[in-house]
Amino acid sequence: NRSCQLSSLPLQILLHVNGIYYIFYFLATLVMIVYKSQAFSYPDDFLAPDLALLFMMALLEVPRLYFGSKGNLTEEEAPLGLSLVLTLGSALLSVYFLVWQTYVLRADVILNALLLLTYGLESVLKVTAIAAFVS
Amino acid sequence: GEHADTCKVPILTSISPPVTKLCACDLLVAQCDANCCCDPDCSAEDFSLFTTCSIPIVTGDSRLCSQKAAVYSLDVEANPPERIFKVIDQVNPNLFCIHATNYKQALSFSTPEMPTSENFDELLQRFGSATFSAEPDSWNENTNVPTPSDANETYRYEYGVPIQTVDAFLRLPSPVVSSWCSDANPAGFLVNQATKCIRSVSVEKCGTIQAVSMLFYINSSILTVNISVQSIAFQSLNGTRTLLNGTEVLRLPVVLDELCINIVLGVSYHITYTDTGEITEAAAAFVLGAINKEALSIEQSFAISFTQVNTEPVALSGNPGYIVGLPLRAGFWSQGYPCLGETFLASTNKYSQLTILHSTSSQDCLAAQGARTPVLFGYNMISGCTLRITAAMKCQPLTQTLLDLLKGQSFPEYVASFGNSQAQDVLDWVPITHLHSSEQRIYSTSQSSCQIPVSLEIEVKWTKYGSLVNPQARIVNVTATITTTTLMQLPSGRERTIPVTSSVVFTDVSSPAEPGYKAWPTIHAKLPFDFFFPFV
Repeated sequence: NRSCQLSSLPLQILLHVNGIYYIFYFLATLVMIVYKSQAFSYPDDFLAPDLALLFMMALLEVPRLYFGSKGNLTEEEAPLGLSLVLTLGSALLSVYFLVWQTYVLRADVILNALLLLTYGLESVLKVTAIAAFVS
Repeated sequence: GEHADTCKVPILTSISPPVTKLCACDLLVAQCDANCCCDPDCSAEDFSLFTTCSIPIVTGDSRLCSQKAAVYSLDVEANPPERIFKVIDQVNPNLFCIHATNYKQALSFSTPEMPTSENFDELLQRFGSATFSAEPDSWNENTNVPTPSDANETYRYEYGVPIQTVDAFLRLPSPVVSSWCSDANPAGFLVNQATKCIRSVSVEKCGTIQAVSMLFYINSSILTVNISVQSIAFQSLNGTRTLLNGTEVLRLPVVLDELCINIVLGVSYHITYTDTGEITEAAAAFVLGAINKEALSIEQSFAISFTQVNTEPVALSGNPGYIVGLPLRAGFWSQGYPCLGETFLASTNKYSQLTILHSTSSQDCLAAQGARTPVLFGYNMISGCTLRITAAMKCQPLTQTLLDLLKGQSFPEYVASFGNSQAQDVLDWVPITHLHSSEQRIYSTSQSSCQIPVSLEIEVKWTKYGSLVNPQARIVNVTATITTTTLMQLPSGRERTIPVTSSVVFTDVSSPAEPGYKAWPTIHAKLPFDFFFPFV
């Protein structure tokens, strides 16, 4: 007999795509910060928080994707729940880069909007998966 | 033709978009600039004369994603051509346009600190070396409006800058092209002006014409200084002027007995300024007059003069040497208190000048009493008149009359050596030497012969003083020679006419210039004393 597979395939695909997209997002945002510091007046007091938050976001992303993937594949709620909490943090940082950055370019708006969309979709799928695992 | 390019200005960090108020081609103050469609001083008639708009669009920073832009264009199809002004939202298609910024000073230039005596040392330390950091510490402060630190900072003027008033500029009506008054002439700082122009008036429009009312000229206050009324003089219809006593009451034009009175015939502004270029006081002296029903126009005269605080407005005749054509300055020696030494009072006439007799057309000495003309440096002058002597004239009064005529009411004792000699520098003043000479060679044996002065000759000796390339004229000697002649007794009923002359001669007594050279360098070559050791 086939055992019922509770792992969510769409969630896994999304997590995979998210990983690739995030690498692109991180590099693009970093390059744009460098461009902004050359093209506009970007004093150190404003540059430092932006860079710090970007690296923090990158550091947050790795465990988030790992735990999400692990929790989904092993059908355990705990890692998936942790991943959900970390997603909330990442979403907050993404909102910072969308709204509260020193210079918000149109490219920033597009990148962060896509990222937030992905996070939103992921969160919904994770909640569904947790509900499936728990019951 | 040239391509008109867009006008790019950094957006000021203020509330509403100031693109409607920015105009880079508005160069002339309170006047319409040609082909400048955004100039607020231009009227619809001015726009109909334009050919193109030199600035078609005014935008803020072009790196923003969406911003307001003011678009100016000329509709040449319409008759007359009119200016079209639109405010549009300009969208930047660039992917890297600035959508938003959370950094207030991002898009505007920072206002540098104004050096004062307190922060000068600190500024010198920061910016005085060959390099300095482009990011000062003050960028973190919330300075979103570039205002000076002290709101009461007074406005400093430079020579020629129009004097600002609350709404616009201080105007001195002057004739432009024709003799009619134009109210668009701004008064420049330290530029003494005197203008006369014609204004059209009528008794019917007595109260409505603004430019003949006192209020028009003292209404606008010069920023922090109010224009006070210094004096008011009334000029009657036949030209006589009387000075009024009370100057507090503002006299506005009213119709009285078919005359329009209290209309402004002349305004003279006196502005007092400090040596840093700030205006401390402003006063206006008015001449008011009246017009009757037949009058269609009046002539108005305006003047403005500037005086530095705590100085007397003495006109210099050169700085330091005399300038050819400027009057000689002269004065008296007046005894002050013994302990303070002797003080000088340079006040021969109102302008403290040396004067000689002024020839009149009637050539009658007695009729033209009092007419004097100032002696101008470098100009030899001669003037005179004729005197009719009758038998009834007595010697002594005649002598006195002629002396008064030749020398004037108060002949000075000292003449300024330099054009800018101050009254307190005693050594800068040259005494006038008086000489007498007699015309008659033959000495008359009669004791009762009357000597009457008939000629005054002033000889001014001057020298060139100072450097070779820029020599200054300096007066070294002034001699006044009175020549007398014998008055012969006339038989009664007979008359005699004698000429009375006065002249001024300028003589250059400067010694030839000797350029001074440095001494030729000498070679001091001495052998040391033990050079010929061991032979010596």
